[in-house]
Amino acid sequence: MIEVQGLTKRYGPKTAVDGMSFTVHPGRVTGFLGPNGAGKSTTMRMIVGLDHPSAGTATVNGRRYAEHHAPLHEVGALLDAKAVHTGRSARNHLRAMAATHGIGRSRVDEVIDMTGLAPVADKRVGGFSLGMGQRLGIAAALLGDPQVLILDEPVNGLDPEGVLWVRTLARHLASQGRTVFLSSHLMSEMALTADHLIVVGRGKVLADAPVADVVAGATGKVVRVRSPRATELEDLLRRAGAGVVTTEPGLLEVTGRSRSQVGDAAADAGLPLHELTEVGGSLEDAYLQLTAEELEYQSSALDQTTGAFAPTTEGALR
Amino acid sequence: MTTTTRTALPALPEARTSRTNRTRSGDGVTFARVVVAEWAKFTSLRSTTWTLVATVVAMVGVSVLAAWGTTIDAVDAGTGPMNLAQFLGAGYQLGQLSVAVLGVLTITGEYSTGMIRSTFAAVPRRVPVLGAKALVLAGVVALTSLVSLALSYLATMPFHDALGARLDLGDPETLRLTLGVPLYLVAISLLAFGVGVLVRHSAGALTAVIALLLVVENVLMLIPLRVIELISPFLPSTAGRRLLFDQETLTAVDAATSGAHLTPWQGYGVLLAWVAGLLVLGAWLLRRRDA
Ligand SMILES: Nc1ncnc2c1ncn2[C@@H]1O[C@H](COP(=O)(O)OP(=O)(O)OP(=O)(O)O)[C@@H](O)[C@H]1O
Ligand SMILES: [Mg+2]
Repeated sequence: MIEVQGLTKRYGPKTAVDGMSFTVHPGRVTGFLGPNGAGKSTTMRMIVGLDHPSAGTATVNGRRYAEHHAPLHEVGALLDAKAVHTGRSARNHLRAMAATHGIGRSRVDEVIDMTGLAPVADKRVGGFSLGMGQRLGIAAALLGDPQVLILDEPVNGLDPEGVLWVRTLARHLASQGRTVFLSSHLMSEMALTADHLIVVGRGKVLADAPVADVVAGATGKVVRVRSPRATELEDLLRRAGAGVVTTEPGLLEVTGRSRSQVGDAAADAGLPLHELTEVGGSLEDAYLQLTAEELEYQSSALDQTTGAFAPTTEGALR
Repeated sequence: MTTTTRTALPALPEARTSRTNRTRSGDGVTFARVVVAEWAKFTSLRSTTWTLVATVVAMVGVSVLAAWGTTIDAVDAGTGPMNLAQFLGAGYQLGQLSVAVLGVLTITGEYSTGMIRSTFAAVPRRVPVLGAKALVLAGVVALTSLVSLALSYLATMPFHDALGARLDLGDPETLRLTLGVPLYLVAISLLAFGVGVLVRHSAGALTAVIALLLVVENVLMLIPLRVIELISPFLPSTAGRRLLFDQETLTAVDAATSGAHLTPWQGYGVLLAWVAGLLVLGAWLLRRRDA
């Protein structure tokens, strides 16, 4: 369990994290979602005591991270990829980390096998690909077999097989009753991996709810209706109290009414319909809507992230 | 054959059964474990090995050159027997540079690569890391200096007779000059380490330390200002180096400078005070700063 209370971090005049409060519960995967510069990494660094909060507190299993006698057994963290000396081999890196807690070499070999690092374990980390560095970070996080895992963009740089593996791993760890907290700005990934979402923008929590609720709550459903007698239909729906927007001649976007309600109303008035669809409700829509005003780096960065991956459909949401 | 080069998806971790076992008090971070970890880190970097080898080669090389050169001079000038300790420690000037580099990189190498975040995630109290690193560094530098002395002794053997030199460790001054080498080099490596902890960037810290050792103190000694004359004897390497000077050199140095004339051990004490000051300041900042 991770508890964050009024957490704030200022770097000079810049407020990177602005009074965040949330709780990450065990037994499920909690996604930490937000655009670039939203403060996800900073928050995670504060949780594991690397950055000092300007205000507020962060505790893991009831204590501040630094107060744990055996932190690696409590929390496994993958922070920035390659928080590793480039001149050392993966195995030696893990052995040195393990030594601080008296963790044996057999456990080091175990996590190396688990993360598929075996073929490169004795090579210098400096020559690792982004994906191998990421696997090493995950191996280090698993070293102490911790109850809480904090993974900052774990799929960053992984190949499709690796992405699938991280997703399976995260779900598996949560199913064992562990607390799994992972950040991403990839909504499609979150839709597939997370049960619960904490959406942030500009250092503030924008939403903290199950994935499905975030989607429903942020977008509301929109019904798209095409009719040759759109103007009459618009009048009719407006009089009934629905929200209507005309985006092009003959096409209406209706909010506040379900698809069947719109269809029935048209039938009662004898108005023909050429199209009747329910749109919206994807996590991407929800996300864009939530973070629209909170964007740190307008458009270009976000366009890239949204464009770069396979489209998220409603079907992907649980 | 349809086997691909890809490995199968790695196994998923099993929940370990005996969590309670691992929360026993014997299972957490202890200073001894941090020392073991720092030792493992130190010995698993090729660059440190090479720096140490370079230190030994440089120090032995200078010893041999000094002995050989003096043999020629001595024959010409016909001087009397000499103290061998002076030749064995002759390479300290070069040696101090490489141990200073080692001291700086011990800590700044972790900052430049991001390793420091892994280190502090494992030992969030941080100060034990500082202590363990200092301990490992001091031990390794002491050992390296002793090895250099021993090898220098062996390598200069062909010149011992010609120099009429002997090594009488029963003589207090000889003992001081000999042990002074590891003591001085350990202190210098820790001084550099302390600067590294404060500065955190390799290039900045290296420049600062090397400038301090080679330039600043020597330049200051040339400035005939009263304030500087008063301060100068208390600068770290000016003070510490006195441990490596024989009585003759000390007298000559003192004749050329005004200000305090420290005894060799007082001088070394001043150097140690600098080291302690830097490390205490470093520890304080280490806890306060973001990693
Ligand atoms: N050490 C630092 N000094 C100054 N500013 C910083 C520092 N670390 C982060 N910031 C700023 O704080 C803000 C939040 O950064 P952070 O890395 O936490 O965002 P993020 O949500 O992880 O973004 P991304 O998705 O790009 O990883 C950014 O504007 C960043 O520039
Ligand atoms: Mg980040």
